[in-house]
Amino acid sequence: MNCNEAETLLARYGDGELDGVKRRLIERHLRGCAQCAARHADMLALRARLRSEAPYFAAPPGLRERVRAAVASTPASASGVTRPSGDRWRWLGGGAFAGCAATVLAFVVGTTVVDWRENRDLAVEAVALHVRATLDRQQIQVASSDSHTVKPWLSARLDYSPPVLDLAAEGFPLLGGRLDTLDKRPVAALVYRYRNHTIDVFVRPESADAPPLRTLRGFNVAHARSPGWDWLAVSDVSSEVLTAFVERLAREAPAP
Amino acid sequence: MPHLNAGYNLARWLARDAHDAEDVVQDACIRALKYIGSLNRADARAWFLTIVRHAFYDWCERNRPAEIARDDGSAIEAAVDHAAVDPEQAALRRAESKVLADAIAELPLAFREVLILREMEELSYKEIARIADIPIGTVMSRLARARALLQGSTRLRAIGERASGGVR
Repeated sequence: MNCNEAETLLARYGDGELDGVKRRLIERHLRGCAQCAARHADMLALRARLRSEAPYFAAPPGLRERVRAAVASTPASASGVTRPSGDRWRWLGGGAFAGCAATVLAFVVGTTVVDWRENRDLAVEAVALHVRATLDRQQIQVASSDSHTVKPWLSARLDYSPPVLDLAAEGFPLLGGRLDTLDKRPVAALVYRYRNHTIDVFVRPESADAPPLRTLRGFNVAHARSPGWDWLAVSDVSSEVLTAFVERLAREAPAP
Repeated sequence: MPHLNAGYNLARWLARDAHDAEDVVQDACIRALKYIGSLNRADARAWFLTIVRHAFYDWCERNRPAEIARDDGSAIEAAVDHAAVDPEQAALRRAESKVLADAIAELPLAFREVLILREMEELSYKEIARIADIPIGTVMSRLARARALLQGSTRLRAIGERASGGVR
């Protein structure tokens, strides 16, 4: 690969948009070409600055209520307009629209209810726990960025002592932990922050189940394994970030 | 409350004003109610961001029509000039993060939106193409321009060099 070819692929490489073959080709080129490597480093440096310095504007506290009120007071006709088969549905009346509004609120405002009775697997259950915890504001029972505070708190309430790592330096500060129930068993849930997203990490002694990476209604679930431990991370951060994060945790954790 | 934050962040960067962003998001939520049938359940965030973007452009047309007209691409070079304020003074006057935020805010709309979707929402080219209703090739060229504009911004470069202790 020459520099011209590399140049056309560099951005796609940095954005994680290249397949394995091209990725390996460009990685080989970058190892041998200081000029292209510098360009790539520039792009990564810009990204790092964008992510650390440019604000991510979280919705102001009042907005959620404002949206709730606006959606609730939107007359049924707002929905009716886009339903050409209107009459057929009229008998559903307010109830149907209320349901509609609830669905919108669920996806937008976050009151997602995952019905995992129908599709009961670990990933779905983990998402349900994550959603419930964020809604109830019960996500963190022991709030501390100090792993030496979180670990004993959890160990005292479980029949195992979960590894608790702080990856604040990588941009994933530890917020705390809680006790949850996954697959009918008590489980340690560690809560991390990545930018303005929260990540739940369920860590438990190794088991046979291995849910693949998947997306459920906007949430990603990533799974990793380390000697003796089984890791399940749930968040609305991108799947690449979540996977890299949970693999990092698994790699660094000491065996029980 | 993941998607509301994503929606607000996008609206805030597009509108560059907190109050206007709230109006846009509120309108988007009402629209979401209308378009609920088009929701692909696996992809609620991208779906909602698409609606926020539409809501913003409609709002912009009503309230700041000049901005859309101006932003047909001819503003690119103007954006570069705009960024070329005296670096010393700029660095003294503002916090460094404010400088970067200002440089992003000065990007033409078409470049700003793909940059926010890629770098802040970490969406794929394909998802961005769908949200902004442009071909993937256009996503790539706009991203490249956005990055080049930011990297070429005199103010940013001055600060970057200062931070790294010299000229690279």
